[in-house]
Amino acid sequence: MEVIESTVDTQGKEFKENFTYYEKLVKDLKEKIQVASEGGGAEPIKLHKSRNKLLVRERIDALLDPETPFMEFNTLAAYDMFDNKAPCAGIVTGIGIIHGREVMIVANDATVTGGTYYPITVKKHLRAQEIAMENNLPCIYLVDSGGAFLPMQDEVFPDREHFGRIFYNQAKMSSMEIPQISVVMGSCTAGGAYVPAMSDETIIVKGTGTIFLGGPPLVKAATGEEVTAEELGGADVHCRESGVADHYALDDHDAIRITRNIVENLNRQEKTHLDIKKPEEPAYDIKEIYGVIPKDSRKPFEVREIIARIVDGSRFHEFKALYGTTLITGFARIMGYPVGILANNGVLFSESALKGTHFIEVCCQRRLPLVFLQNITGFMVGRKYESGGIAKDGAKMVTAVTCAQVPKFTVIIGGSFGAGNYGMCGRAYGPRQLWMWPNARISVMGGQQAATVLLTVKRDQLWRKGREMTKKEEKELTDPILKKYEVEGNPYYSTARIWDDGVIDPVDTRLVLGLGISASLNAQIPYWKPGVFRM
Amino acid sequence: MARGGASMSMFINYEHENHVYPITVERRDNQFFITYDNNEYTLTATEVQPGHLSLQLGDRKFKCVISEGEDSKFVFIDGSVFPVKRIELTGRKKTEKKEGDLNSPISGTVVSVKIKEGSRVKKNDVLLVIEAMKMEYLIRAPYNGKITKLYFKQKDQIEIGQLTAEIEKEEE
Repeated sequence: MEVIESTVDTQGKEFKENFTYYEKLVKDLKEKIQVASEGGGAEPIKLHKSRNKLLVRERIDALLDPETPFMEFNTLAAYDMFDNKAPCAGIVTGIGIIHGREVMIVANDATVTGGTYYPITVKKHLRAQEIAMENNLPCIYLVDSGGAFLPMQDEVFPDREHFGRIFYNQAKMSSMEIPQISVVMGSCTAGGAYVPAMSDETIIVKGTGTIFLGGPPLVKAATGEEVTAEELGGADVHCRESGVADHYALDDHDAIRITRNIVENLNRQEKTHLDIKKPEEPAYDIKEIYGVIPKDSRKPFEVREIIARIVDGSRFHEFKALYGTTLITGFARIMGYPVGILANNGVLFSESALKGTHFIEVCCQRRLPLVFLQNITGFMVGRKYESGGIAKDGAKMVTAVTCAQVPKFTVIIGGSFGAGNYGMCGRAYGPRQLWMWPNARISVMGGQQAATVLLTVKRDQLWRKGREMTKKEEKELTDPILKKYEVEGNPYYSTARIWDDGVIDPVDTRLVLGLGISASLNAQIPYWKPGVFRM
Repeated sequence: MARGGASMSMFINYEHENHVYPITVERRDNQFFITYDNNEYTLTATEVQPGHLSLQLGDRKFKCVISEGEDSKFVFIDGSVFPVKRIELTGRKKTEKKEGDLNSPISGTVVSVKIKEGSRVKKNDVLLVIEAMKMEYLIRAPYNGKITKLYFKQKDQIEIGQLTAEIEKEEE
């Protein structure tokens, strides 16, 4: 396969300026992740340790095979929300490896408001379960949570995608032969008690782990009975009397040892076969991506330069290179796995949408995972394009993306606007994972365009009343819109709300895609059955 | 978002005296596992000072100096010089970077015009900026020259494929 010829001048002024600018973006990202990873702060951490408990990340580290990667999701969930009182949304989720097998870890952080569930905590937990379900990954819940965050009960309890869904998913996954394992390492109160109770196998730690529907204060209020937490729902009660738990652990380390034993005996089936080759680093330095992406997000960039720095050996077999040139399609390998890549190189026209549709069909037939490198300001608008039927060509691409039965992965490497987001496998189209680079922007349209649209509407309304807008009135209307779009289009606004699975340093793109594909092979790839393509 | 890494392995073609040596190199710290012609070699290399290497291949120890040439490297070992060149066998031949196109790549609005008729421009100078679909597209001079015709002014609408300006090429 041919190596992509790079034409980037890495010594040029522009490259160097871009590079310096991007380094700052990455530094900022790493600082944010660092803060979020530290959990609830010094005071609660001290208290947590005084109870002879390991911190959430220490637990995960001890649980996973040494020197293996942990692909963490949404470290920056709830960033800048809830007065920043829920770093990492109080829960750590990710795919790790135990005895050589990929598993989904969902671990409460009791140092963050007692591990209680904020609205975003629920969403993060459910997203982790969704990933586990799609990829057929055993789930391990390291439970240490006081249940729902009561002051926000209306946003965590009643709806379909709220707290109850966690247990629904557990029962569903168990029925799909996806093992559900709980390790009770702290409190599991009220609704939280159902996490271990709904699991196939449950471990409880003596002295710190408790499971009960109503805690001691509630019992006293309801019946007058005075009882300690340990007497009410400790390890002895549940392992010797109630049968709610199956394994008795002396401490966190012991519980982790037992969990590893359980995973060792799961009898997991073989992974789906793909034609895998030995991984090869790209021929160009991955970090050069920093210099390729323009500082000004309004400037286009050549996406082949990005592909060259992501795929194995920078080798890329391009498909339909001369047709619909604003969408680049082709075959390559990432960490040894064969993939089909779709990458934007400008606005989507009818031809590019048709080319994308054709390419997706080919990949579905060959059962190749799809990687979308999304940098799209939308489908082309205007009379000429509408009359040319761009809406139906866009619809073909959206149909193809939706019905593609192969694992899909999306990385937003620039803009993600309007229907372009749909055609390029945005969140709604079920990519197994969706990652964002720190330079990314996402919104229904650009702030300037939204402001212009609203301004035109308002001006017409006033004109019918025989009035005209003053410059000042115009500014008063557009300024807040521009500001709103700027704030909400930011990747950190997105990741805080789990519209993606995380913001990543571009340098890690190969690794996360490789891990994602590897995890996806735990599930079978079904037969391809597309919908109607409007011709 | 991930910890850990992956082993690095590279496939390289070297050319020396019109012969191509395809090799695979895998690096672990200062150890290099090299495969050539189905034979494996383990080489330990330490950079004593920039360009000066101390090597060990099996029991053999030797020193070498590498200097960078225009497009090849010169390797000095035991008084002999080996010029080597890294080449891409299957790669596309280096395509000339596409000469700047004076046609508009997209339908949009001309937001800025940096030149007048008669202006002298250098290769890669920005002539016009066209805005469409939230992006700015730059029309750059494909070569040094003089602007003989300019077809658009600021705020004009432009269609995809329309010629923006004409340039009379001048020798460098």
